[in-house]
Amino acid sequence: MSLALLEPPTNANPQTALTLSQKAPTFYKSQASWSLPYPLSLFVNNESQEKWQAYENIFLACLRTGDNQSAYLYLEELTDRFGKENERVTALRGLYAEATANTAKELEYVMKHYEEILVEAPSVFAIRKRRVALLRSLGRTAEAIGALTNLVDTSPTDAEAWSELADLYLSQGSYDQAIFSLEEVLLVMPNAWNIHAKLGEVIYLSANAKEAGPEQLKALSESMRRFCRSIELCDDYLRGYYGLQLTTSRLLGALQTTKKSQQVASDPVAGDLAPPSIDAVKKLNEVATAKLAEIVRKGTAGEKGWDGYSASELIAARELLDRGTQQIQR
Amino acid sequence: MADPVEQQIHRDPALFYWILLPITVVMILTGILRHYLSTLLQTTPKKQPLAKIREQRSLLRAQNLRGNHQQISKSSFERRKEVFIEGVKEGRFLADPENRGKPRANPMSDPAMMEGMMGMMKGNVAMMVPQSLIMGWINAFFSGYVIMKLPFPLTPQFKQMLQAGVGTRDLDVRWVSSLSWYFLTLFGLQPVYNFILGNNNAASMATQQMAQAQMGQNPMGGQEDPDKIFNAEIENLEVIDHRYILDGVEDRLLAKLGATL
Repeated sequence: MSLALLEPPTNANPQTALTLSQKAPTFYKSQASWSLPYPLSLFVNNESQEKWQAYENIFLACLRTGDNQSAYLYLEELTDRFGKENERVTALRGLYAEATANTAKELEYVMKHYEEILVEAPSVFAIRKRRVALLRSLGRTAEAIGALTNLVDTSPTDAEAWSELADLYLSQGSYDQAIFSLEEVLLVMPNAWNIHAKLGEVIYLSANAKEAGPEQLKALSESMRRFCRSIELCDDYLRGYYGLQLTTSRLLGALQTTKKSQQVASDPVAGDLAPPSIDAVKKLNEVATAKLAEIVRKGTAGEKGWDGYSASELIAARELLDRGTQQIQR
Repeated sequence: MADPVEQQIHRDPALFYWILLPITVVMILTGILRHYLSTLLQTTPKKQPLAKIREQRSLLRAQNLRGNHQQISKSSFERRKEVFIEGVKEGRFLADPENRGKPRANPMSDPAMMEGMMGMMKGNVAMMVPQSLIMGWINAFFSGYVIMKLPFPLTPQFKQMLQAGVGTRDLDVRWVSSLSWYFLTLFGLQPVYNFILGNNNAASMATQQMAQAQMGQNPMGGQEDPDKIFNAEIENLEVIDHRYILDGVEDRLLAKLGATL
């Protein structure tokens, strides 16, 4: 069984999801199992976790690409095997109902169904998450945040929920809350380089919102250090280098304008770190620019081992580099 | 030096058809039977109430905070620590704050606990009964037969293992007795079950034993008072000497990239 079938397609790019969903009918036929008459059937087993994992993934891919008929076929198989009461199956059924709902009224109906389930069994986290996602897609962000804070209160080690919460807060511009949520994710998964970079991004945004001065300088250097950590964990992470380039350029300006006396010195009680030295920032900027140029060059050419970057991120990186050279020319 | 003369024993070929094959087939069949029996007897684990989940995960969160505190800045760490300590003092994380400080009820009177133990008993019975029956059967009918010869030489230490039930001192180790064949199949049929029943079957001994080892340190003693565990966690958090992972990260990164550039 190919690897693509075993990975949830929610993070895959549209191309992969499409090929996966196009494979759906043939895969379904290939899985149509032969079986022996009753007493002999006890001796054969064509069950495997991989099979059901693949079923679920193809189901999700079909929903993403709008192939609702195939999706329904797979959903029925899953329901037959695990029963309607199964938590995962209920969530998948809800997902199907959400995807096939045409009017706002139908969506409301799905929501009501979720709430009914939750009244009976409040510990079904899959449905609680579906409800939050539905609230968010209906545009009721405040309610979604409320439901999600409730969820992370009962299950504070759920990294997925925390990062979704961070995203929601970020969309509302509440940077401090978003930073807090992302820190929670890091406490659960300390080596997630994408979360380190994401945290750097949020801190950078919050720094933009602040007035120029020691506070902003502090936030900028914190953000730069997050990107550094992200790159330290993952050598070729484009977003990490992008952020590093961006923050170091900003920092160079800020460090030069802020007077030495205004800079907050390292305070051992509060545990704040001193702002980085100009030399280090300069060097980091050079390194980031060079590496970013390399990634853009090789990634656009599609060289072997460099073809995993998403096209839009490459374009954004190129734009950032162009902006930098223009400034130098001026 | 001449090669030692190989022992020759003339076996009746019927031994193969009427002892070796039956034992093997019966062992495979019992394995399959055990698989289906334990699937039938399995009780679905009872869902935990929400408050209990919250209690466990809050504790886990505090442990995460202790283990991964380097990831966040000192001020964030102190803030989380204070909130946690305050919450524990108020008993905010406990599943049932009313029973705080009271001694725990006898675990034997707890119906949920009893159910768990019944499940364990059922598993063990499904495991033990067929085994002892078959062993009795083999002992009664086939004991003392030498039924096969291994195609490779072995050291004398294997004699006990391979020739159980045959009291001959000078017999070559390569000869296997029927009782020993039973033991060999008992422990060695795992791949066969995997082939027939799929990977996570209940027929295998090893997984059963593992499940037993995981049953917790003392199933009879009940759990500890959660309030005490939380207070112990506070002490753990308070002795932490905070170190921030972003401290000096730019120098580390430059050194690392400088080497590879």
